[in-house]
Order: sequence, then structure tokens, then C-alpha cells
Amino acid sequence: MIEIKDLHKSYKMGSNSLHVLKGINFSVEEGELVAIMGSSGSGKSTLLNILGMLDGSDSGEYYLDGVPIKDLSEKKAAQYRNKFLGFVFQSFNLINYKSALENVALPLYYQKVGRRERQDKALNYLDRVGLKEWATHLPSELSGGQKQRVAIARAMAAEPKVLLADEPTGALDSKTSYEVMDLIQKINDDGNTILVVTHEKDIAHMCKRIVHLRDGVIVEDTKIEQVRAQEYV
Amino acid sequence: MFDRDIWQEIFNTIKKNKLRTFLTGFSVGWAIFILVMLLASVNGMQNGFYSQFNDDATNSIIIRPGTTSEAYAGFEAGRRVQFKNEDIEFIEKSFPEDFVEISGRYYANAVARYKAETGTYSVQAVHPDHQIIEKTIVISGRFINEADHVNKAKVAVIGRKVAEDLFDKEDPIGQFAEFNGLPFKVIGVFIDEGDDNAERRIYAPISTYQRIYGNTNDINVILLTYNPNYDLTKALEFSDKLETIMKRRHKVAPEDQAGIGVWNYAEAFDDISSFTSVLKAIGIGVGFLILIAGIVGIGNIMVFTIKERTKEIGIRKALGARPNQIVNLVLLESIFITALSGFIGLLFAWGILAIFGPMFNTPAFTNPNVSASTVITATIVLIIAGVLAGLIPALKASNVKPIVALSDK
Ligand SMILES: Nc1ncnc2c1ncn2[C@@H]1O[C@H](COP(=O)(O)OP(=O)(O)O)[C@@H](O)[C@H]1O
Ligand SMILES: [Mg+2]
Repeated sequence: MIEIKDLHKSYKMGSNSLHVLKGINFSVEEGELVAIMGSSGSGKSTLLNILGMLDGSDSGEYYLDGVPIKDLSEKKAAQYRNKFLGFVFQSFNLINYKSALENVALPLYYQKVGRRERQDKALNYLDRVGLKEWATHLPSELSGGQKQRVAIARAMAAEPKVLLADEPTGALDSKTSYEVMDLIQKINDDGNTILVVTHEKDIAHMCKRIVHLRDGVIVEDTKIEQVRAQEYV
Repeated sequence: MFDRDIWQEIFNTIKKNKLRTFLTGFSVGWAIFILVMLLASVNGMQNGFYSQFNDDATNSIIIRPGTTSEAYAGFEAGRRVQFKNEDIEFIEKSFPEDFVEISGRYYANAVARYKAETGTYSVQAVHPDHQIIEKTIVISGRFINEADHVNKAKVAVIGRKVAEDLFDKEDPIGQFAEFNGLPFKVIGVFIDEGDDNAERRIYAPISTYQRIYGNTNDINVILLTYNPNYDLTKALEFSDKLETIMKRRHKVAPEDQAGIGVWNYAEAFDDISSFTSVLKAIGIGVGFLILIAGIVGIGNIMVFTIKERTKEIGIRKALGARPNQIVNLVLLESIFITALSGFIGLLFAWGILAIFGPMFNTPAFTNPNVSASTVITATIVLIIAGVLAGLIPALKASNVKPIVALSDK
């Protein structure tokens, strides 16, 4: 599903250049649930942003579902993001003046899905994250966990090939974190490919594979026995 | 652009950001309000001028011969130009389509006597058409007619003051008065509202006076009226042609105003209309400046809101919004707010003018209003204004980088 070869990325800061990713080789099969771990500043978000086509790499190859991702125009990148990728962020990034339902329906709007179908689909996904009754509420009326569930519903509504989550539990207490991980596991159970960036061990162990980043390279990549979040909810 | 979804997005944004929308729209609404009021005021002044001039002004032209000020066609300067009866016939033949009434005027003085009363009066010996050209109001008897003219009859139409002086309480009609010793039959009395001097005047047939004064066919002044349906341009065109042809006929240099003077009452209109068009231009200019201030205001607020909405735009892009969709969103929002608020300003101005406009009816200011073309122009201007106001913010918005917008730092 994802294949990257010798990926490099550095940030220019004035005359200095900060080499963040120093040759990443890495692939993800369909249906995997991968945790990307590493200390703060190790380049986890940078890697995820490149995978999400929100940022470009300096060199290296990247294939998403067999499609080479290189030198995309903004328009093309937007289309690919819309078709292939779902995003979940640490700070939820819901549009604050739109209701939960409208937020979930937004990627469908950019997929040119008709209004009725959009509403139905969005409501269906809200139902799947257990927030059907909250459809008309604004984000400000929801708790942190509920906001993240709306964000996950929004990411899933577009039916992406890969779900990219950057510290999805970073802003949540542990109980709520497990609820969110439970949801992510269930989505993975349905066969969706998911990458979760985290620096929390317990969250990482709820995935099926852990990739360790340090100093811009992968230092460890192991399949693990998944801990079901259900047990802690 | 006519996609219902994008409008729903815009309505949503506006509904959820009422204060911002109000602040944005207010400046443009206000600008349009002032623009329309300014134009209406100029219109009111124009209406005032026109209604005043319509009372007095006639579709008449006066041609006066004088003394040439330039040497021309072999003649030296300082030659007196003299009109003759043939000049009238010439004009009649040359402009059969244009003129309606025409009359010569021959100036004389008369010491008039009736019984014991005497007085000195100016005499204007004229053609029958003169009554219509000068709008002379005859209160008793009649004016000079064609038969009087052909027969060179010794008849006179006297002013009210003349009648009072000479005839006191007697009815002057049918009486004979002596002008410089010659008996003239009084056939009419005329009045002239607001001009006492005009009522100390006597009209007589021009043919009669030309014979009395040594069988001349001299004329002092030619007066004529032209087709009343002519607009300003056509009227001025006609008097220009008249001037050219008369100057050529009398060998007067084309630009010599002293040799022959042609005065068209329409020229007064022309001055007024150029005056009001200057006022109108100033009105439009000032209105536009205010409008530009409004556009800059909108642009400013939009740029500011784009900054505020950077995160939202980043989210939209992450979810798959293409750059041109973001441009459309911002641009249409700007156009919509501009057009709507401008339209409200327009309606306000319109309503105020509709209610209060007709109350103004002074000579200087009559019924200020706006024409449909002003309204249409204003609407087009508004849409352009909306595009201009939204353009920079829209481009700014489309350049938002999602990673920067979404970074939590
Ligand atoms: N846009 C940027 N410009 C410059 N430096 C950046 C930028 N984004 C991240 N960095 C730097 O790159 C390094 C890796 O950042 P990041 O990928 O966000 O780390 P992580 O998500 O693992 O904490 C950090 O040192 C960070 O300061
Ligand atoms: Mg990070």
C-alpha cells in the first residue's frame, strides 16, 4: 500500500539546514495498523506529512497504492489527498462554525458527492463513532474525545486507502485515549490501513507493528501482539 | 459558480460570522448610499435648472448684424453689415425644414399723440410671426396680421403703459393716434408680465415702416424659431449652420462675432447642462473615492479574516480542496457581501429619495432622483468592487500551506 525508498528531508533555516529524515526505507501492506514512535523532534510528523502529501521530500521514492508520488501540482495533490488519504490530528482541527455533521460531510463535498448522499453518509459515519445524537452540535459543545471521534468519522467518510493519525491521543486523558484507540482498532478490523504517530508506549502497543525513528532513520521495526483497547474502556 | 453547494458554504460562513459580515458590508453599503445620494442631488439641481429655464426659454434664435472687426474677402474691417428683406427670404428658402416662424425687426422711435396726450415710445416694426416668437400676449384687439403686412397698413399694437398714457380710461381699439404726425389705427393692446419697459413699446408692420422711412427694405434684426422637437445638439447644429451661411452671405469672417451675431437660447441650456455634467462628474468622482475606501475596507477585513481562517483553509486543503475552490469560495463570499450590502445601501437611498425627493420643489433643487441606468451601473460597479476586494485575500488564501496552517506550534 505504501512504499518509500531512501527518503530524505531537510529544513532550511536561514543559512543552516536541518537534516530531519536521513534515508527512510519502509513499506506498509494493506490492512496494517502501524505505530510510528520516537522522541519529540525525531521527525515523526515530518514523515507523516510527506506520506500525506502535505509536504514534499528532498529525495527518495514514494509509492501510494502503486502510484508514484512526485512533483505533484497543488491541484493533483489535493485530488490525491481527497481520494487516498484521511487525516486525524492531535488538535482535532474541526471547523469550529460547522456542526459535527457538516464537518464529517466536508471531504465528501470535495469529492463532489451529492448533497443527500453526503448527509446520509456523514450521519452513518457519525453513528459508527457513536455520535449520531450529536450531529447538529458545534465542536465547542463536544468533549475532547468526542471531537477526536468526529475527526475520525470525517477522515473515514471519504473512504481513504490510508488513515494517517498524528498523535491522535496526544490531547486526551488515558481513558479517552483508549476509547479513541478502540475506535481505531475497530476501523482497522474492517480492513483499513492505518498509521498512528505516537510517543506513548501503551498506545503504540495497541497497534500491530511498531516503527522506531531516531536521528532521522528507522532503528527498529517489529510486528507485535496487539493489545485490545476494549479491555481498558 | 452556480453550484448550490458553494452558496450553501457561503451562506453558512456568513450566518456563522454575522458581526464580521456586517462590518465588512457596512462600508460598501454606506459608500453606495452616498454615491447615489450625491448623484440624485446633482440630478435635483439639474431638474431645478431645467424647470426654471423651460419657463422662459424658447426655441428661438436672434441674428444681429454689426460692424465687422476683421478684414475679409476683400473688405476692410469696420464695415457695417446691413440685413435686407432678402435675407429673410434666403433663410426661408435655405432652411425650410428647420425654421417654424420668422420675423424681421426694424427699430424706430415715435412721438405719439392722441388728443391732448403725447409721449415718446420705441417702435418695433415687425412681421406677423413676431407675436409667436416673442410670445406677446394681446389682451384686447389683435396683433398685426398678414393683410396688414401686405397692405403696408398704418396699424399699431400698443403696450399697456402706452394705452394708459395716451388713452387714459378710453378704449384705444379702433382709435387713431398720430406717430410723428402720421395717423395709425390702434388694433391691439399687449402686456408683458414683469417687464414694464416692454409695455412702453409699440408694434407696427415692418412693411409700413420700411415705406415711411424712404422705401428701404432694411432690417435691423432677424428673429426665428426652429422645430420645437429639436434636442440641444440639433438646435445648436442648426444655429451654427445658420451663422456660417449668413456670414458667408455677408462676407463676414467665420470667426468674426462682431460682424454677425447669432444667439440661440439653447446655448443657455448648453451652459447649464455642461455645468451640471461637471457637477455630476464631481459627484461620481467623490462617490467613487468613497467606494474605493469601502473596497479597501472590505479587502482589509477579508485579508484579516483569511489570517483568522488560515487554519480552516488548511483543513479544507488537507481534506482535498483544490486551490481554485478556495479562491472561488473567498471571491464569491466577497462579491456576495459587497453586492448585498451595496444593494441595501442602494435600496435605502432609493427609498429615501422616493419618499422625500418629490417634497423638494425649489427653483434650485427639484425632485432629486436616480435613473435606472445609475442603478444598473452601480450594481455592475459593486460586483467589480467585490472581485477587487476579494482578489488579494483569495490569492492569499489559496497560497496557504496546509502543514503551516495545521502545525500545532
Ligand atoms: N517547517 C519546519 N521548518 C523548520 N524546521 C522544522 C519544521 N517542521 C519541523 N521542523 C523541525 O524538524 C524536526 C522534526 O520535527 P517533527 O517531524 O515535527 O518531529 P516530531 O513530530 O517527531 O516531534 C524538529 O527539530 C523540528 O523543529
Ligand atoms: Mg509531531
